[in-house]
Amino acid sequence: MAQIFPERLNNLPLAVGLGAPLGLIGAVAFVWYFFSPWYTQVGYQPTQPVPYSHKLHAGDMEINCRYCHAAVETSAVASIPPTQVCMNCHQLAKKDSPLLQPIRDSAASQQPMEWVRVHELADYVYFNHASHVHAGVGCVECHGRIDQMEVVKQEQPLSMGWCLDCHRNPGPHLRPPDQVTNMRWAPSAAHDELSAQWISERHIKPPTDCWGCHR
Amino acid sequence: MTDYWRSLGELEGSPEFEAVRHREFLEGAADTPDGISRRTMLGLMGASLSLSGLAACRRPVEKIVPYVQAPEDMLPGIPQRYATTMPFRGNALGLLVVSNEGRPTKIEGNELHPATQGSSNAFAQNAIYELYDPDRSRVVLQGGAEKTWADFLTYWKPLHAEHVADSGAGLAIVAAPSTSPTEARLVTLLKQRFSQARVVTWAPLGNENRQAGLRAATGAEIEPVYALDQARVILSLDGDFLQDDPDAIRLTRAYSAGRRDPAAMNRLYVAESTLSITGIAADHRLAIPSGAIAGFTLALATELGKLGVPVAGVSGGGTVFDAKWLSAVAKDLKANAGKCVIIAGAQQPPEVHAAVAALNAALGNAGKTVSYASAGTAARSRVADLQALAGDLEAGKIKTLVLLGGNPAYDAPADLDFATVAAKAANRIRVGLFVDETSAVADWHVPQAHFLESWGDARAIGGPLSVVQPLIEPLFAGHSVIEVLALLESAEEKPGYDLVRETWKPVLGGDFDKGWEKTLHDGVLSGSELAAQPLPAADMSTIAKLASFKAPQGFELVFLPSSVVYDGSASNSAWMQELPEPVSKLTWDNAALISKTDADGLGIHDGDMVTLALGDKSISAAALVLPGQAVGSVGIALGYGRTAAGRAGNGVGFNAYPLRTTKTLGFAAGLTVTKAGGTHVLALTHEHWSQEGRDIVREKDVAGHGHSATGGHDEHGEHDEHGGHKHPPLVSPWQERTYEEGPQWAMTIDLNSCVGCNACVIACQSENNIPSVGKDQVTRGREMHWIRIDRYFSGRPEAPESIVFQPVPCMHCENAPCEQVCPVAATVHGETGLNEMVYNRCIGTRYCSNNCPYKVRRFNFYNFTKDTPETLQMAYNPDVTVRARGVMEKCSYCVQRLTRATRDAKLGNRAMQDGEAKTACQQACPAQAIEFGDIRDPKSRITASKASPRRYDLLAELNSKPRTSYLSRMRNPNPELSA
Repeated sequence: MAQIFPERLNNLPLAVGLGAPLGLIGAVAFVWYFFSPWYTQVGYQPTQPVPYSHKLHAGDMEINCRYCHAAVETSAVASIPPTQVCMNCHQLAKKDSPLLQPIRDSAASQQPMEWVRVHELADYVYFNHASHVHAGVGCVECHGRIDQMEVVKQEQPLSMGWCLDCHRNPGPHLRPPDQVTNMRWAPSAAHDELSAQWISERHIKPPTDCWGCHR
Repeated sequence: MTDYWRSLGELEGSPEFEAVRHREFLEGAADTPDGISRRTMLGLMGASLSLSGLAACRRPVEKIVPYVQAPEDMLPGIPQRYATTMPFRGNALGLLVVSNEGRPTKIEGNELHPATQGSSNAFAQNAIYELYDPDRSRVVLQGGAEKTWADFLTYWKPLHAEHVADSGAGLAIVAAPSTSPTEARLVTLLKQRFSQARVVTWAPLGNENRQAGLRAATGAEIEPVYALDQARVILSLDGDFLQDDPDAIRLTRAYSAGRRDPAAMNRLYVAESTLSITGIAADHRLAIPSGAIAGFTLALATELGKLGVPVAGVSGGGTVFDAKWLSAVAKDLKANAGKCVIIAGAQQPPEVHAAVAALNAALGNAGKTVSYASAGTAARSRVADLQALAGDLEAGKIKTLVLLGGNPAYDAPADLDFATVAAKAANRIRVGLFVDETSAVADWHVPQAHFLESWGDARAIGGPLSVVQPLIEPLFAGHSVIEVLALLESAEEKPGYDLVRETWKPVLGGDFDKGWEKTLHDGVLSGSELAAQPLPAADMSTIAKLASFKAPQGFELVFLPSSVVYDGSASNSAWMQELPEPVSKLTWDNAALISKTDADGLGIHDGDMVTLALGDKSISAAALVLPGQAVGSVGIALGYGRTAAGRAGNGVGFNAYPLRTTKTLGFAAGLTVTKAGGTHVLALTHEHWSQEGRDIVREKDVAGHGHSATGGHDEHGEHDEHGGHKHPPLVSPWQERTYEEGPQWAMTIDLNSCVGCNACVIACQSENNIPSVGKDQVTRGREMHWIRIDRYFSGRPEAPESIVFQPVPCMHCENAPCEQVCPVAATVHGETGLNEMVYNRCIGTRYCSNNCPYKVRRFNFYNFTKDTPETLQMAYNPDVTVRARGVMEKCSYCVQRLTRATRDAKLGNRAMQDGEAKTACQQACPAQAIEFGDIRDPKSRITASKASPRRYDLLAELNSKPRTSYLSRMRNPNPELSA
């Protein structure tokens, strides 16, 4: 009787037996990695050229975010302060601190500082700080309690799904515009009614179209 | 319905065309340029993918580099705009330049400047490319060895002393034409110091003949300023005033404005040899050789004389060609005396220009449709001066030759043999943007600063004075022409800023700083227009002198300015090389343009190599059969066949300068054309993206249908009330989306205004980071332009009845066919009605392009942006993604501009104004053919435009509901000729 299966399929059971578990492991590894905070780099906390403490400046001394991040209300980027802004204070305060040597070098040599980006979006994402600040989204919503961080770290996944959660339901993330930089602001019991009112007053309609952020 | 065709292949149904039209992507379109097959490529891609997968496990560390001291009035992420001026062929274009963090990235017209009025042209847009051109010269060179600016100073100082001693007897300077008051002042100073020095102005193309003609007719140094919006009848004699004229932006705007109102539409007659965009715009066109224009002008004068126009001394003669045509034109001119204008082309001899000025005066147009402004201190090209200088160089009288800008070794008349005689000067100094053919002649080469890098000033045609304001420090330590002139004069370095301010002190008077700031801010000095003068007593006897021109026999060769590289100065721009020449749709080449009749007689087909011989000189060039070309006339664009242009321009096309002499700058009679054997691949785009003969373009006659007529041809009664095809009721298989909130963007393109000038194509390329792909890629149908300009002929190829331009960007269909077929939802619809293309989702199936009825999608077959040189990367718009290989892309309605306008309004707590959001193509269009805005706003200009009876949608019967609509073309034929 002729064989039903040709000889070259002899190894098929072996291939399936080995391949199927490997495929399964691959799928698990894929989800494990790409669906995890490791992939989105939550907790990313690089070392900066100067151990600048947001806890000290923004927290303890209550310097407003906008003193340094001056473009945040008008531009797409919040802007990292020029060396000159650091020197506004530090030519008097702690003017001999060795930790501040890179800042003084930068001011003297006119060579810019090179800070390490913590909150990094893909190149095809066009995020705009001004729109969010204008709508009343607090700094803390995306950046976490910066005022309590000695070294800034990434608190939120900054993934597309995470963005869309808020874009589809912005209410819980809104606050009065004058409280945007207030890290300690907490919503009142009547937040739902208030936020509904803000949404209609400020014409808040976050885009969920692709070209809202990608183009 | 009229049958339209885009190429002779289409008209004749050639097998090549049939092969092209049925393929979405041309044969071999998916192959890589170096011949790797698709399968090999997939293998390689697989390997690189797995490698990149491993590499991507670790995200690269990104640095943020802030300023040390932030500049005033500047926040990162917010582009700034500065007014500046582009010196342009003896004119000055007022521009607003967008600068991102100190990088100029986009050119726009300055609304306050009369020469641009907010529009621009392809050459102005290209200034960004030119600034960042990776082949620009970067260092001072002496005999090819790197030197410094300080070395050059050391070299010049003793030489300066030497020439002070001989009063400049051995010193000659060749400069490009300029209208800069500062340059004129420095040249005057230089002539004071070196009383015997020669300062020669030379450019291969320009209005030298027109100035010479006016000088002959009036004895004054004047230039004409046309007011085409006042003209009811325009006659162009071999003049492409919509493209080649230095003032083309202003002229196009005025011409288009004169065609808006069907009740008072101007009528354009064109007599020309080579089909130009002005000829395409014409209501009536007569194809006659350039050499016959003089005879034709005399015949016209005779005819006008018979009608009672005072043309003293004209007693017949001339060549009539088409008696009916001539008589109709003459009657129309006479009937509209004082409201008509005659314009002669730059390549016509001075005698024709003198006669035309006299005719304009006789018709009472002077001071009305054409006025005359003093040429002032402008330095204008004079071939006689260059000829005299070549003689002196030959005789060894010139010791020091300074070549400031321009490229005379490449483009000077062939009989001067400039490169050879220039080498006879002992000291040869060259200042140029590129190390080009002329630098090869010089022993010192000094990098020139681009106009976007230097201070300067310029006067526009008609007088408006403005400042050239730098946008960026010189990238390669270049020096501007005025800085070099100051150095030549005084042997001292003087900054351009001081030189310009010194010139402007007496101009502004009074409160200098305040006037200076305002001029810089506005980009033009208000009130600086020169007083227009009527023509000072035109000499009518100039007309009769045309009788000395004999009717041409045999072939003539017409030297044309290239619509894309001009005289060769834009040769190294990949943007310009890849821009399809508006009439022939040829890219990356020029060709000997020949009529169908002559080609058939000689047995020549597209791409055949021919030998063009004039006397003992000859060149080889590829032939291209151009419908509408005058029989007996062969046209060839200058500016090609360069040997030292740079990576994009070297060896592209055929150099026609070797045939051009001081006597034949415009055209030359006595040409012999012979088939040379062999063929040349011509990268023509006119057969790409075929519309398969569907009802795409519509035009109508004003007279035939009355003023409230509808759009299309409806002589067969098969069109609906909007001029579209009658079609069954449209039923959608889907639940159609409604658009009731927010701005709903839409566009109309007025085919009646569009002149096909290509400004929109380059503006789009600059705005949207569109790559150039190269000749080989274009022949495979891979050009990436998001907006293309189709050109449709109707009638016989020997004498096309009408020709229509149609710009085609993405239609942004409400029921977009592309969206239905994307397997990964990479193209979807947005709330503002935009058809969105999401690059990061696209996997490159190309189904969308297959299913797009309008053929507006472009696929990145190759990683075209991978090897973009670093300097050119600075030209990128930071608001638009730079696309990688394997993704589809297409017109986005400049979504980044729409988003910015919407956001700015929202941040300002105000409603968006109509016209606040403009697309790049709309902004650039000198004809104002593109309208764009929110169709939900009942008062917006777009709503009014959409309500026009001329409006029609492309392929409306597909129920795709395009947001881009067209307004049909209107013709205003003379009833006498159309019968």
